[in-house]
Amino acid sequence: MSTAQGGSAQSGDPVMDLLMASLTRRKATAQVVDAAGAGREAARWMADAGVARAVLASDPVVERIGLADALKREGIDVRMWPTGLGKRETMGLEGPVDVCGVTVPSLAVAERGTIVLEASEGHGRGLDVTSRHHVALLPADRIVRTLGEALALTFADGRPAPSAVSLVSGPSRSSDIEKISTLGAHGALTEHVVIIR
Amino acid sequence: MRTCLSDAVAPSVWKSSKRVLERCGVQVKVPRGQTCCSQPAWTAGHPDQARAVARHTIDVFSGPEEVVVPSGSCAGMVVHAYPEMFKGQPEEEAALDLARRTIELTQFLAKHELDPGPGAPGPVTLHDSCHMLRVMHESQSPREALANAGCEVREMQHTDRCCGFGGVFSINFPELSGRLGEEKAREAIASGAREVVSCDLGCLMHIVGVAHREGIPLRARHVSEVLDR
Amino acid sequence: MSTRKRRADGGVAYLDVQGTLRERTVDALRDRTLRGNLDTAATSWGESRDAMREEYGLDEMRERAREIRRSNIRNLPALLTEMQAKVREAGGTVVRAADGAEACRYITGLARARGVKVVAKSKSMATEEIKLNEALDDAGIEVVETDLGEWILQLANEHPSHIIAPAVHLNREQVAALFREEAGTDDVPDDREGLVAHARVRLREKFAEAGIGVSGVNLGVASTGTVCVMENEGNARLVTSQPPIHVAVMGMERVVADWDEAAHILQVLPMAAIGQDAANYVNLITGPRRDGESDGPEEFHLVIIDGGRGALRGTEFEEALSCIRCGACLYSCPMWRSVGGQAYGSPYSGPIGAVITPLLEGPSSPASRDLPFMSSLCGACGEACPVGIPLQDLLVRARARSSSPDTRKSGLAFRAWSRLWRRPSTYRAWMAGWRLMLRARGKDGWATELPGPGAGWTQVRDMPTRWPPRR
Repeated sequence: MSTAQGGSAQSGDPVMDLLMASLTRRKATAQVVDAAGAGREAARWMADAGVARAVLASDPVVERIGLADALKREGIDVRMWPTGLGKRETMGLEGPVDVCGVTVPSLAVAERGTIVLEASEGHGRGLDVTSRHHVALLPADRIVRTLGEALALTFADGRPAPSAVSLVSGPSRSSDIEKISTLGAHGALTEHVVIIR
Repeated sequence: MRTCLSDAVAPSVWKSSKRVLERCGVQVKVPRGQTCCSQPAWTAGHPDQARAVARHTIDVFSGPEEVVVPSGSCAGMVVHAYPEMFKGQPEEEAALDLARRTIELTQFLAKHELDPGPGAPGPVTLHDSCHMLRVMHESQSPREALANAGCEVREMQHTDRCCGFGGVFSINFPELSGRLGEEKAREAIASGAREVVSCDLGCLMHIVGVAHREGIPLRARHVSEVLDR
Repeated sequence: MSTRKRRADGGVAYLDVQGTLRERTVDALRDRTLRGNLDTAATSWGESRDAMREEYGLDEMRERAREIRRSNIRNLPALLTEMQAKVREAGGTVVRAADGAEACRYITGLARARGVKVVAKSKSMATEEIKLNEALDDAGIEVVETDLGEWILQLANEHPSHIIAPAVHLNREQVAALFREEAGTDDVPDDREGLVAHARVRLREKFAEAGIGVSGVNLGVASTGTVCVMENEGNARLVTSQPPIHVAVMGMERVVADWDEAAHILQVLPMAAIGQDAANYVNLITGPRRDGESDGPEEFHLVIIDGGRGALRGTEFEEALSCIRCGACLYSCPMWRSVGGQAYGSPYSGPIGAVITPLLEGPSSPASRDLPFMSSLCGACGEACPVGIPLQDLLVRARARSSSPDTRKSGLAFRAWSRLWRRPSTYRAWMAGWRLMLRARGKDGWATELPGPGAGWTQVRDMPTRWPPRR
């Protein structure tokens, strides 16, 4: 799976365009969709990627776009977080290999192509790295320009710090063999960001 | 300032420097009592021994004149290390004063817009000595001086990389030092010039010494000697 | 197998190091493959760095980073107190360890108490420094390095050669051979993608088994008690989220005051380290999992190591504590590029390693006292440093502090030198004698053998006896 999936290339919004460009630079793919079609588009992307099972964050955004139903229509096995699966199956050592973790970022950093994932009851810390594929559902109003803004919002005074926050900038990679970047080390091999208008 | 390396191996370097300055109409004094900036002891980790020699150097150059040094490394020693060496010492003020008045030869030419007239035509390749580049923060003045003198410079690859001399390092780790010197000599000859020029005699002795041992047909001259023709 | 086993003094340098530093450089220089691998790595790093310099205004970023880190070190005791309080508030445990031995005792004790058989680690220089792997090994606990480069080294029974890119000195064929041996089968692909995929599966087995995950810490953020662990592979996230216990090991100097400072350093670090404007993953961890969360460790332990760092505050070496362990000075260093990190014989190599190893170990440690001398003082390190540590000055100061038979000998020589060279008459007499000697030794303008300290010179190069030198 290496071909970039389309979506509209230009959104007309400079910060969103900057995010799209940064994601491409980070070897992630992205598409901008309207809320109405978001579930269908995301499900189609996963089907094209050969996803057999999707593990979805239990988040209002996932519900709002009707993703679970759309995935079932594509014949994809759907599990909501927490899945109750054993550790070996969670890590892809048992069960289907082509698992896709579906996350809902709290924020995204346009300059760097970084998405911000906060752990919570409905959102596992490992959702995006235990799976082979990663789809992030990003409401467009959560995009900020700089990392500084994102961290200031995430760790604002008076807001309890989440137990774990992950800044994710593109799929997993390693340059440990001959200093050449190879995708899909321990985390997801692909990262696809669905920006929801 | 003559520099001890020039005294030891190449008196022609300080003599050329003096002539170049005089051709520009500069009145030059070469204090007979001078010895060394004390860098060898300082970098070998013996600050007390270095201070004793540096104190003498401060005395010798105590006048109001600018002190011109045909070496980025020795100039850098005075400008950068003397303030640290004499911090809290009775000579601190005098050391800071000398540091303010000290300048490398080609920097002096550039600062006062001096033109010594035509020099050797070249072509040569220029090695940026580390202390000229990263202590004196200068890479332009030697190039300007050579260009003004009508000397063609053919740039080599990685001219900002260390040649591996490093003073006491060249004696402590000869194999490593020699390997870097050989790389530098090969890059110098690959520039198409047959002669390497630098503001620092130490680097040149090392590069050309390795080249001679390895059979690389490279010549070397100090920048002042190229300007003095 | 035995090289990693024996140690025990709690010092920093590796005890399996053979020969003198100079002998190790000679060995490394003979290894052509190593030289090629290092050069490729350093060159590609240099190119990405240069590409970023203008675009991101690296010079201004460095000035700000320098100020932040200097102020962190000045306020270190207060920041550590705050950090400690916030981690505890979040439900974590904090341990202050005076040295490596104490830290290792705590972690092995914890593993024993919880009946842990397997520990999964992500890359951490601090755990190399305290020799945690050996301690766990001695306690009969299996340790698995999960960073791909570190795992390769573990299989090769070697120590890292670079802070960021530990296995940068090995090539693909060498890696494939190690994987075949570990898996006990020839059925291991030898293309890069295949090797990475193979390691992914082998190491997932270990993540599933591990009772403790051990990570390092790139930055601690005092205002919220958060540790930042930066990585590209995703293994550090697995280490910090899958096993039931997470132990984070942090050098005491790695703390910043707040998120404004953290945001800056978190951007400077990957730019300096890998020439990228972001690491793939930055894991920001504040205590263990909360009630209701269904993954993440149930226990979080932060082990803060002094190991000689605290004593450097207020000394002429204080600036070395600003280091954010990016590895930029290594890549920039002509010596490191020529011989690699392993020749240094200590976890921290390159210019910063040559400064801090003898400081943490003591000036007369035979294993590290020569390190500050392995530099031409070219200043490329200070120029590359993203937090503006004047490494070449620190190297000179570290030389003055070094104590060995060699430095005592050169001390005597320089005492004589100083007496001769502070008097113009004796200086001139010595110089005249030297020039006569050169002429006498010279043949066709060159001397090929010199006495005394000159012997080190003529070992690898000739000395021109006339200047400009003859061809």
